Amino acid sequence: MNFWHTVAAITWKDTISEMRTKEIVSSVLVFTLLVIVIFNFSFGATQQTMKVVAPGILWVTFAFAGVLSLNRLFVPEKEQDCLEGLMVCPVSREAIYTGKMLGSLIFMLVVEVIALPIFTLLFNLPVLSLQIVTITVLATFGFVVVGTLFSAVAINTKAREMVLPILFFPIISPVIISAVKATEISLAGGSWSSLVPWLPMIAAFDAIFFVVSFLIFSYVIEE
Amino acid sequence: MNTNNILRNGLLILSFVLMTVSLYLVFVFVPTEREMGIVQRIFYLMVPTGWLALLSFVIIFIGSILYLVKRARKWDILAMSSAEIGIVFTTLALIVGSIWARPIWGVWWTWEPRLTATLVLWFIYLAYFMVRSLATDPERGARYSAIVGIIGLVDIPIIALSTTLWRGIHPGPVIFSGGLAPPMLLTLMVSLAAFTSFYFLLLQYKVSAKNDESLINTLRESIKSR
Amino acid sequence: MENAAYLFTAYAIVWAVVFGFILVLFNRQKKLRQEISSLKELLQEIQPGNKS
Repeated sequence: MNFWHTVAAITWKDTISEMRTKEIVSSVLVFTLLVIVIFNFSFGATQQTMKVVAPGILWVTFAFAGVLSLNRLFVPEKEQDCLEGLMVCPVSREAIYTGKMLGSLIFMLVVEVIALPIFTLLFNLPVLSLQIVTITVLATFGFVVVGTLFSAVAINTKAREMVLPILFFPIISPVIISAVKATEISLAGGSWSSLVPWLPMIAAFDAIFFVVSFLIFSYVIEE
Repeated sequence: MNTNNILRNGLLILSFVLMTVSLYLVFVFVPTEREMGIVQRIFYLMVPTGWLALLSFVIIFIGSILYLVKRARKWDILAMSSAEIGIVFTTLALIVGSIWARPIWGVWWTWEPRLTATLVLWFIYLAYFMVRSLATDPERGARYSAIVGIIGLVDIPIIALSTTLWRGIHPGPVIFSGGLAPPMLLTLMVSLAAFTSFYFLLLQYKVSAKNDESLINTLRESIKSR
Repeated sequence: MENAAYLFTAYAIVWAVVFGFILVLFNRQKKLRQEISSLKELLQEIQPGNKS
């Protein structure tokens, strides 16, 4: 089996088991909707305030949703000792990382594909534009790239639900800053070129941390 | 053992000489900056503490990589020691930054890019310690914190860039844009050297204390086994 | 000059922390060295007794 076959097999395995249980996507989706509604309560839903706070709400919601779903990412492996099984196989650790990462990317994107139209509806703002979808895909990739690595770290610690956010939030702060700024500009009707410092920033983050996490992952799961 | 002692004493003397000189320069020699007045002299404290926050993380990074590759405990000890010093200086940098912000901008805290980036760095230091203490066994803790050490350092330039762009590029005080008069530059350089020398002194202490601790453990083991 | 208090506070805090740090490390080192030498003595006392 070559590298990409292995990756596809792992991603496929995760997707199938998720399609059966719908454990991650359904719970994260409900969580996302609840957060959106609660933010609505706390900011008083006038149109003017919403315009100001909407980018922040969107990205706080997605970041929390990301932590929630990343926390579950290695739970099946841990509970059924599947990681040991995977590691006995002649499969490179890098392929395990890439496969898990793509699986988690798919889950997050599914949640966001459902959440964005609802966001548009509830907030009465055009968040479903090509610009914002691009920002969302890039930023989500940044989330899962480091998130998968940290999720594998957190799974072997006591109080793993606490460890993941503590690791995850400081590291992804550039992505959050950039995504919020870019969303703000886009909602104000900015052109593609006005998104320039932010989109390349997220893209650079994605590329750098994909490479670093890819190289470093084998040290996480080595025993 | 002997070379260690010479190194330590050398660093001790060097640190105290440099510190004394820097105190003289800061409080007597350097001219008072015209616009900001006497508070501007906090600058000679803020830059060195901020520099040590970064330098410590660079040493953590080096120790972490070497630990993951070579698996020798001494590299983990180096990284861990540097982290314990680094978080102290990062905290100091935040405190000093806050004391600087009050007279200059009228508030104790402002989301100024450098302060913000330092705060994020402080949280990364915390993550480094948390992951080590919450790991299920010490070897794992060392490995996991090494990963935080590597990811963290790679992230620092990106954090700095994003916070700078986030606050918008506004003309900062002259002091940051390179227009530093020669006596000010000299004072800054001596302060930097003094704190750097202090850092290595502390690092030497920390590392040898950790080595002594593991020596004590092995001695205890061998006594028990008899 | 009314701002001089800030300057002195900043220096006082940093210096107190740095010196406190050094002092703590110095004392700890001393204790550790003492413990090592007492453990080594103990080890030597046990060793000949065991062999003879």
